[in-house]
Amino acid sequence: MIEEPYRWLEAVENRREYVRDQIKEGSPAFAVCLKDGILLLGVGTGNSKVFEIFDRHGLVGLGHPADIEKLRQTAIDSAHMEAFIRAPEDVGLRRLVSFTLGPQLKTSFEQIFGAPYLIELLLAEIGSTPENDLLARVHFDGRFELQTGGAAAVASQPETERTATEWIAKRIESSANRKDAAEILLQAWWCVTEKKPFPDDTTTSEDVRTGWRERVAGKTVEIGWLARTGKGRTRFESLSLPQLGL
Amino acid sequence: MSELSPIGGDFLSLLAAHQISPICGQKSQSAPVETQATTVFAFHFRDGVLMAGDRRATAGNIIVTDHVEKIIEVDACSLLAIAGVPAMAFEMARVLQSSFEHYRRSQLQPLSLPAKVRALARLLRENLPLTMQGVGIVAPLFAGLDQAMKQPVAQIYFYDPLGAQFQAVGFAASGSGAQTIRSVLSFQERFGNPKPSEFDLREAVRFALRLLIVASEFDSATGGVNQDTNSFATLKTLDSQGVQDIDAAQQSEILMS
Repeated sequence: MIEEPYRWLEAVENRREYVRDQIKEGSPAFAVCLKDGILLLGVGTGNSKVFEIFDRHGLVGLGHPADIEKLRQTAIDSAHMEAFIRAPEDVGLRRLVSFTLGPQLKTSFEQIFGAPYLIELLLAEIGSTPENDLLARVHFDGRFELQTGGAAAVASQPETERTATEWIAKRIESSANRKDAAEILLQAWWCVTEKKPFPDDTTTSEDVRTGWRERVAGKTVEIGWLARTGKGRTRFESLSLPQLGL
Repeated sequence: MSELSPIGGDFLSLLAAHQISPICGQKSQSAPVETQATTVFAFHFRDGVLMAGDRRATAGNIIVTDHVEKIIEVDACSLLAIAGVPAMAFEMARVLQSSFEHYRRSQLQPLSLPAKVRALARLLRENLPLTMQGVGIVAPLFAGLDQAMKQPVAQIYFYDPLGAQFQAVGFAASGSGAQTIRSVLSFQERFGNPKPSEFDLREAVRFALRLLIVASEFDSATGGVNQDTNSFATLKTLDSQGVQDIDAAQQSEILMS
């Protein structure tokens, strides 16, 4: 009986290793808050990395497609129920993550006889001003971190993710336009997927500038744009590279 | 006992799983009463569909307000004109808005026009008990873009209070002032030159405003249009580019020209 808790701890730790191993080849995705909106970017197969959740909310993620789909549906159902029962303005990322996604992921992760979610997620909420933009990084075990504005990455390895996020934050100013921001995010994507070091000077090497173009051939660069202002309530728009001039 | 599982992308079954019934009522033997206190209509013009409604709400002989929006943008390519009891009609509009957006986001594709048309019919059927009591009757109009077509074309549908749906060839009208509107539209479509379906946007807007002025002369529950008090209609168009709102300033300018 005494050893049971240790078995449980060991099982949880094994699951952590199992999940990290399963998603280690996952393609990273990014979100960056700009003056006019939030840019979400991932490279996948089309409708596989970047999604609209609600009027002002988007999601990017990596992991098992079925698990991403399940959590995406959960987030959409929860947001629409909240909007219907109360009002669309009451749908908030903080509540969506704290009360819906986080607890569901934690429960699933700690129930050691069931399959854990093989995912890493990043959600975004556009605010009325850049200071009110909210990004939420949600992990497979239910942990989550919220940040206002700035940039964030979702990658399978924590160290890579931290390095990518810092590199992007240094390179993209909030006043940058969508095209320049997307270019930087694609360079970061290339560095992570090719396991190249991030250039540490302000001048990007030719490799990084051109490398991502060759690497995305045959794939779909999925881009979501959450506009700060707009005619209707829905602020999410899917974009393509040609639409951004890339 | 098994829990109710929502059908993927179906917002109504999601509501049912949470035991929420936005449209519900008790059965009664009472007969329905005539729809009152509204004039809404839609007709095809050269570029698409124009949908219009007065802005008056009445309760018996009392004018409750002259600022009701009866033409509702359900999504980027659907319009709903509500006629009947506002409490039920607005709730139906809200359910439809949530349903269409929920489906589009969860299934990663827009709902087809036939499914949208049937979704409204389903709500009307669920409202049957209140319709039979005569306290919750709703007779709406719906306009949507058929995106399955190579060149998306806007279509008009009208319903009876039990939920039967009919596609309108040229025009449709509902509410207490509908008889007048239908008569004029029918006359104009048959003998007019140009016909409403040949109108450009300005001609269509001017015609719609004049129709409401005429309807308000025969029906006290129709608000009409009054430039002196800056009271105009709710006018929206639906074409291949989506929904466009014709605001009071545009209406005033077109009516005066």
